[in-house]
Amino acid sequence: MTKGLKSITHIARKVGGVRNLLFILLAALLGLTILLDIRVVEKIFDPLVYLYLAVGIVVALYVIPPLYTSRRLVQYYWQRARRNRLAVVGLAFILFLILLAIIGPFLTADPTEINFEEKNLPPPGFTLQETVYHLETQQFITKTASGIWEHPLGTDNKGRDLLAMIISGARVSLLVGLFATGIAIVLGTLIGVISAYLGGKTDNVLMRFTDIMMTFPFFLLLVLIVFLFGPNLVFIVLVIGLTGWTGTARLIRSETLSLRTREFIMASKALGASDGRIILAHLIPNVVSLIIVIATLSIPGVILAEAALSFIGLGDPAVTSWGMVLRAGQQTLDTAWWVAVAPGIMLFLTVLAFNFVGDGLRDAFDPRSSV
Amino acid sequence: MGKLKIFVLLLMIVGLITSSCQAAAKEARGVYISGTSAGDAETLNWILAADSASFGYAGHTIDSLTTYDNEWRIQLRCAAKDVEVSEDGLVYTVTIRDDLKWSDGSQVTAEDYVYTLKNLMFSDWLNYPYKSDWQEEVDGETVLVTPAVVNETTFTITRQTVDPEFIYNLRTLVPYPKYIAVKYEGDVDAFTQAPEFNNLTYTGNLGPYKFVEWVRNDKFVLERNPEYYLGKDVGAPYFKQYIVKIFGSPATCHAALEARDITYTGIDPDKVGKFKKMDWINVHTVPTTGYLLMAYNMRDNGWEGLKHKEVRQALSMAISKELMIEQVLYGFGEPAFSFIPNTSPWYIEEGIAKYGVGSLLDKEKAKERLLEAGYAIKKADGSIEVKDKEGKPLTLTLVTNAGNELHENVCHLIKQELSAIGIEVELKFVPWATELRKYLMNKAPGSEQELRYNNGVGAVSEESWDMLVIIFGSNPLSPSGSNVFYTAEGGLNFWGYFNPQVDELFKRVKSEEALDEKVREQIYAELSALISEEQPTNFLAFQLATPGFQKNVRGIEPGINMGYNYHLWYFE
Amino acid sequence: MKKTWLRDYIIKRLLYAVIIAWGVLTITFVLVRVGPTSPADKYLANLASRGQDAAQVIAAIEARYGLDQPIYEQYINYVFNLFRGDWGWSFSTSMPVMELIKTHWIYSFQLVLLSSIFAALLGISIGIYSAVRQYSKTDYIATFFSFIGISIPNFWLGVMLILLFSVQFGLFKTYYDTSIPLLSLANLKQLILPVITLGTGMLAGYTRYTRSAMLDNLRKEFVRTARAKGLPERTVIGKHVFRNAILPLITIIMFDLGSIVFGGAYLTEIVFGIPGLGRISFNAIFADDYAVVVTVTLISAFLILMINLITDITYTYLDPRIRYD
Repeated sequence: MTKGLKSITHIARKVGGVRNLLFILLAALLGLTILLDIRVVEKIFDPLVYLYLAVGIVVALYVIPPLYTSRRLVQYYWQRARRNRLAVVGLAFILFLILLAIIGPFLTADPTEINFEEKNLPPPGFTLQETVYHLETQQFITKTASGIWEHPLGTDNKGRDLLAMIISGARVSLLVGLFATGIAIVLGTLIGVISAYLGGKTDNVLMRFTDIMMTFPFFLLLVLIVFLFGPNLVFIVLVIGLTGWTGTARLIRSETLSLRTREFIMASKALGASDGRIILAHLIPNVVSLIIVIATLSIPGVILAEAALSFIGLGDPAVTSWGMVLRAGQQTLDTAWWVAVAPGIMLFLTVLAFNFVGDGLRDAFDPRSSV
Repeated sequence: MGKLKIFVLLLMIVGLITSSCQAAAKEARGVYISGTSAGDAETLNWILAADSASFGYAGHTIDSLTTYDNEWRIQLRCAAKDVEVSEDGLVYTVTIRDDLKWSDGSQVTAEDYVYTLKNLMFSDWLNYPYKSDWQEEVDGETVLVTPAVVNETTFTITRQTVDPEFIYNLRTLVPYPKYIAVKYEGDVDAFTQAPEFNNLTYTGNLGPYKFVEWVRNDKFVLERNPEYYLGKDVGAPYFKQYIVKIFGSPATCHAALEARDITYTGIDPDKVGKFKKMDWINVHTVPTTGYLLMAYNMRDNGWEGLKHKEVRQALSMAISKELMIEQVLYGFGEPAFSFIPNTSPWYIEEGIAKYGVGSLLDKEKAKERLLEAGYAIKKADGSIEVKDKEGKPLTLTLVTNAGNELHENVCHLIKQELSAIGIEVELKFVPWATELRKYLMNKAPGSEQELRYNNGVGAVSEESWDMLVIIFGSNPLSPSGSNVFYTAEGGLNFWGYFNPQVDELFKRVKSEEALDEKVREQIYAELSALISEEQPTNFLAFQLATPGFQKNVRGIEPGINMGYNYHLWYFE
Repeated sequence: MKKTWLRDYIIKRLLYAVIIAWGVLTITFVLVRVGPTSPADKYLANLASRGQDAAQVIAAIEARYGLDQPIYEQYINYVFNLFRGDWGWSFSTSMPVMELIKTHWIYSFQLVLLSSIFAALLGISIGIYSAVRQYSKTDYIATFFSFIGISIPNFWLGVMLILLFSVQFGLFKTYYDTSIPLLSLANLKQLILPVITLGTGMLAGYTRYTRSAMLDNLRKEFVRTARAKGLPERTVIGKHVFRNAILPLITIIMFDLGSIVFGGAYLTEIVFGIPGLGRISFNAIFADDYAVVVTVTLISAFLILMINLITDITYTYLDPRIRYD
């Protein structure tokens, strides 16, 4: 038994800690399940669930423990953040959204279930008139439909339950927001830190590359790539992430530039620490607060980018997102207005919430502002 | 003296009244605005165009040889009389009017028509994509027909094989001006960019309107052509300007019609009820030439059950066409049973198997047929459960192009109908380009063949599929054009249907014996009956269009070709 | 005379701009070419109705568009033509690309300009007022509304505005009428809704930035000095604080001007049917019209590069401490 424990600790040290070991194991497990899913058994999990699991693992291993160990620090920032009432409201809404996204699908109908009999139903309390043409008699038959509680927000023009679609949209937006921002932040941070720290030629080359990427009109590039290579959700997330890192890179770079000349970095170097270690263990933790703020404030842009793509028809047709519902609703604006209003409001509130929280965090982390 | 004065006064009054009546009725005024949300045209240099909008735009400034009215009667345009066909069906003689002029005043002659054919459409440098309209198979080789000038107003086209429906093609011919085209001959880039062709400056008196300006993605403006050969005697056309206004979405287009900002647009079926209630708008219901269908994949990469006629019939039996029309088309459609549309003069109803309606719409019977074919089992309680040959539940893939609301809705409905008989349907909406390349085009597996839409019996597409929903635009006058879909050599037979009986019938309908219209009718009736029975595709529905006009437009005759007399429409 | 380094700096930047523009050009060109779609697809869509031989059609179209040449040959041809001033021929609209852009840029320009002016004027004033009267009710309301402004998806806002003001109340036309002369009151009227749609987001951003920049500066030492000197409050705020706060704001406004054309303005153009550069580029992408797509990307990149350069140079005059070398 002790031999087993010993070898584990040995491996753990090699990998940089027990946490990293756990991460590798869990990641491998997840990877295996995904492989099984693709090759052998059909659909163990919905792809979105996999993404949730992956995120959950990362959060559980790398976000929660640090927060736990530096409890006092967290409490301090929380006190500061709490004073900003809007930020708290925003946070509450985001948590509500996450809850909705996780539990919602079990409580509501299938958002992709088409039922032409129940199309264009308004929310309960409203009525709608629909006309159908009868070829033989050349008559128009008008039917009046009123809302029923089975569809609390009504249905769209194919009979899909609007509430279920909104919930599905919440899942998609949260996921896109999370992952695309994640990719952009990671890439931007790496490039920014490396560029600033190594300086010289590397800095030059990386910054020129950033300039080229920055001068591309972001949305146009997005539309072009998605149009050319197909609207697939994973692909869209990748593309948004891989084209949206430039702002982050710039900001992180300037912050690192000022950090680089600080004494503790010089001391580290003098002690013989490798570049990689300095970057990972010293520089990055010090830009964490900046990263968090940038991330929170980037998520709305990412969510809106995906919504805009779906709105112009380049969204993933297999996925029900808010932009897609908005697009469908735009056609029936004068008759079934609820279809366009609901996703718009949700998008608006979500973006608003993230903006509130991001702003609050920025004020909380900024030592100069007397919150 | 007094009586004379009164008499003259009376004459003047009568003269005034009659002339003002005429003026009030047929004076050119107003601007007719046609709204569209289907996108702008590509080019006015129509010989290069791919989209129907481009032909449409140019078509306002230059007429074809003839056109048809709502009952398919020939209406002469640039042709002085209808095309004459020789006894043996090989020589076509066209006589054009002698009062047609280009913008420089020169006469439009047979030379222009022949030049357009020989030096432009048939040339190698221009790469006209629709050359096959003018090709024929002679001794295994593909050759072009032979046009020749006879005199100033007459030319002939000589074929070596008979095609009774070539005449329909010929009637749509529109000429390019030789005196301008020779300047660009041989240089496709110069031809593409030629300002005369891109600004329609040459059209003379050949069309009811003259080009004014084209603001891309916004509007296409024409003004009345007082020289129009067909209209100058009656003062036609009666609109001062004709504008095509392009909108970004159907919603804004409809809103513009409602707000009286435009004169006409096509109304979506679900909005018709709303527009019917507006008393300043007239909504008509007219047939169209397109039909919806669901193709069955009879190639090796589709469900093998689809290779059996009984199975296809069973599936078609389970899908209610009337339900589809009611729910997806809001009632604006008619069930289809054959590749010949019911608006075609060749349509004969007897003998056609009408799957999906009436007695041939029966989900229980469908399941029974599947049982007989070996694709179901009978359970203890007597009910039939559909399974595939290995005893597993049946799942079929249904494909259509993404972004088309109508197609998608149809697919959802089919999924609903088939799940009622126990067949699970997986829907795949793919972009059009992907659909073309991965589902329609095929080649023999492992071979070096070029991807084509029909590479023979063993060829399969890159992605497997079982059913596909698509719309075909048919030409009601020449349904034999559908041979590309249903014959073994057919260039668009992407679903792999090979039936020698069908091949034979199509060959006959394009041969000499079909020159006799009675014979042709009979062959078409046989073809219809056979194909409707074989169900290589499930013909779904013919759509009805619902155009909406402001009430003050007069002269409209709703029908399948209602635009044929649009130069005589006027504002009251 | 005192800024000799400026000339060198400008030359260096211009050189960089050329390199970057070339990079953008190449990447876009390769992207469009490598994509699996082809102009022949449009012709194929018509096939079903005409019963043609697909292979023949594809071969004909590819020969006509020069697509059968190897890609590097096409690239070299394109760049060579670019140097001769020939920006290519747009196949989807059958006109020279330059002419296409010349006839449509003005619509984007007027929209972006008006929205920027609207957003800047309103945003800055509200921002200043908010900062000066910090924590007052007006401040909270302004902050709240600016948050709302940034958060509303502008395409949805546009749709809602049309629903309310054009369809319900009939105050405006449902589409943009290009026959109205540009320098007329009527044109201004029909631009009201689009400007509000596009400007709201920018406005909110400017309000916040102005407010925080003003607040930052209000805390600084020189303000206390100025007040101690007995200067009227209006001069303190208007001349001293504002001048210092304006710098980052200019960057943002200028950057927005450059990047909005193909960002937010694009969606606004689509919703309101304004035939500007956004609509053109969007349609060109969907039509595989590579000449237009590449040109438009180049133009936008050029705009951003130039605007950045001008901003940076303006900085050196506004803040003499700044020096680039």
